[in-house]
Amino acid sequence: MFLTRSEYDRGVNTFSPEGRLFQVEYAIEAIKLGSTAIGISTSEGVVLAVEKRITSPLMEPTTIEKIVEVDKHIGCAFSGLMADSRTMIDRARVECQNHWFVYNENMSVESCAQAVSNLAIQFGDSDDDGAAMSRPFGVAILFAGIDEKGPQLYHMDPSGTFVQFDAKAIGSGSEGAQQSLQEVYHRSMTLEEATTAALTILKQVMEEKLNSSNVEVMTMTPKNLFHMFTKEQVEEALTNVFPAEHPTPIKVNKQKV
Amino acid sequence: MSLAIRPYYPDYSTVPTQHHFNPYADNGGSIVAIAGNDFVIIGADTRLSAGFSIYTREQNKLFSLSGTTVLGCSGCWCDTLTLTRILKSRMQMYQQEHNKVMSTEACAQMLSTMLYYKRFFPYYISNVLVGLDNEGKGCVYSYDPIGHCEKATYRAGGSAGALLQPLLDNQIGQKNMLNVKPESVTKERALSIIKDVFISAAERDIYTGDSISINIITKDGITQETFELRKD
Amino acid sequence: MSVLCPEIPAPGFSFDNCRRNVMLENKGLVLPKATKTGTTIVGIIYKDGVILGADTRATEDTTVADKNCEKIHYIAPNMYCCGAGTAADTEMTTQMISSQLELHRLYTGRVVRVATANQLLKQYLFRYQGYVGAALVLGGVDTTGSHLYCIFPHGSSDQLHYTTMGSGSLAAMAVFESRWKPDMEEAEGVQLVRDAIAAGIFNDLGSGSNVDICIIRKGGNVDYKRTYDEANKKGQKQNSYKYQKGTTAVLTTKVVDVEEVTVRRIETEEMDTA
Repeated sequence: MFLTRSEYDRGVNTFSPEGRLFQVEYAIEAIKLGSTAIGISTSEGVVLAVEKRITSPLMEPTTIEKIVEVDKHIGCAFSGLMADSRTMIDRARVECQNHWFVYNENMSVESCAQAVSNLAIQFGDSDDDGAAMSRPFGVAILFAGIDEKGPQLYHMDPSGTFVQFDAKAIGSGSEGAQQSLQEVYHRSMTLEEATTAALTILKQVMEEKLNSSNVEVMTMTPKNLFHMFTKEQVEEALTNVFPAEHPTPIKVNKQKV
Repeated sequence: MSLAIRPYYPDYSTVPTQHHFNPYADNGGSIVAIAGNDFVIIGADTRLSAGFSIYTREQNKLFSLSGTTVLGCSGCWCDTLTLTRILKSRMQMYQQEHNKVMSTEACAQMLSTMLYYKRFFPYYISNVLVGLDNEGKGCVYSYDPIGHCEKATYRAGGSAGALLQPLLDNQIGQKNMLNVKPESVTKERALSIIKDVFISAAERDIYTGDSISINIITKDGITQETFELRKD
Repeated sequence: MSVLCPEIPAPGFSFDNCRRNVMLENKGLVLPKATKTGTTIVGIIYKDGVILGADTRATEDTTVADKNCEKIHYIAPNMYCCGAGTAADTEMTTQMISSQLELHRLYTGRVVRVATANQLLKQYLFRYQGYVGAALVLGGVDTTGSHLYCIFPHGSSDQLHYTTMGSGSLAAMAVFESRWKPDMEEAEGVQLVRDAIAAGIFNDLGSGSNVDICIIRKGGNVDYKRTYDEANKKGQKQNSYKYQKGTTAVLTTKVVDVEEVTVRRIETEEMDTA
């Protein structure tokens, strides 16, 4: 007796006879529609680089935020349904603040991922807190942070599973990007090398041409912690990585009044 | 004489008599802690009493929360029992949740929030928390019953706290003295001062006596010691 | 009421201030605290007289005010009285009654009886309705034999063979109840009284330090053993707390010149007895 998928993919808390939760798997599929995000952890620090899909020239690119600060020592990059990510960021931020409030210390990256994971697996079940979450979150997250164990990178998928990585890619170009990361990653990588690698790989998997408004970069070092690249810094990074395509921008001294 | 003073007849009181339940007991006891560069010592007397009676002469009031952190409690004993049990479970939950032993600083902050959580029905305890910080330096934290936390290098608390603090200010803090060169206290001197101040406290405070239990915390762990006091 | 017809004050003790004080206290006035001798005092009758015992701690709230105070007061050559309660009250009450009894002795030319002292004390205390906070154990010998009384602050009294008073009374009474018997020998009686006081010293926080004992034998021979037993030894300090010279700050200095003084020795002269 073989049952087709369609009979077991309605409820989020119904296993198929093969032991699969289709809704969760579909959610993971949803990530593959999202824009690509890459994270690399080195001994010097962590870097996150993401693609921003500018679907219309009339769109204001700065309103798409794909990398966010959770705490001074933790940053996150997302791929998938951006609306869902908001709820998860909120949880991560609250957990980090609460940890600081109660223990007067920074929350570890792993604990932060754990806390968000606890939220991510609450789908399907209603409890005393209120209504049930009808479906899993359609978001994959890269947690980049620095705690007492040093720079760290965690990946979490819609099932709430989180795993530590040296380098990880998520989103539509993740398969190719992950392959490339495996080739280029080595333990003694510097943060600059990692940034270059992230941008290079992003370029390979992106349909659009890289520019300062369709890519976001964040680095985190023990000294500077969360540092989001400004538009100028992104341009500078692109010029360094791809000198041919991104000639040094001509500096014009604007008159000020 | 026509000064109209209304006579007081308690048996014929016109207002309803109100009886209040007092949820707190004062079971006495004193705590003294001294921190050095690579150690911290905490001592507490072992007398547990109420009113004019002694409940026991051998009650330990020091609770080791981790390998480097010890809490000393005096005041309402039932509150101490509850607080320390909750603290222990919180320490264990933290360890399981975050895969590490809670540091002394984190513990100090957590105790503060736990005390303030009961701001309007406080734990009636005088707490002194000691331990080694992440650099291995000794530190002392003292609390009021509702969570005010103060970091210090030496502290006296409990029923003889007011008697002993000025003595420590002078002997450890080298306060009110001229021509003294500032020097950090050694482990041996700290230990002997703790014993001496408890001898003095037992002379004048009726809630301090019988004996003291001492915990010496260094990077090598916690060693325990006891010292006899007068028993009247 | 006028100048010609002044108000005649009501006879007897006026309790106006007591009521006023209660009123003020109810309104939140904090009255000054008197030193209380939270105490253990005891007395027994033995074969040849009376033995009184007391501890020596005086307290103010939870602080020890006096580590070696005297709680067995002299009443008459053949009578002593232990006092518990408000220190000033026990002290002054016994002194006053003692002087009255001495006048009585001079007037009658007889050895005063313990019953007389008891009567004077209880009448005095009753007058003050318990506001004179003295709880007493009165013991002595007279022509009628050995007597022991216990007098309460409100003015009642009991005549007993063995009694205890003060905050340590229960601890001490426990010892008496288990070991007292009629016609005890002196050594046995003294040991019993010591043990009763020691029970108070160790088990009652209001009592402490040493044991004082007073033996009043038939015939008026008194043996007052002040510090009969040092029940608690003070701990040995490990450090020296001597300060170097110059440790205390000199805030101001003022030098006053003293005029030169000469001392002249005067030879004593023999008194003229001629």
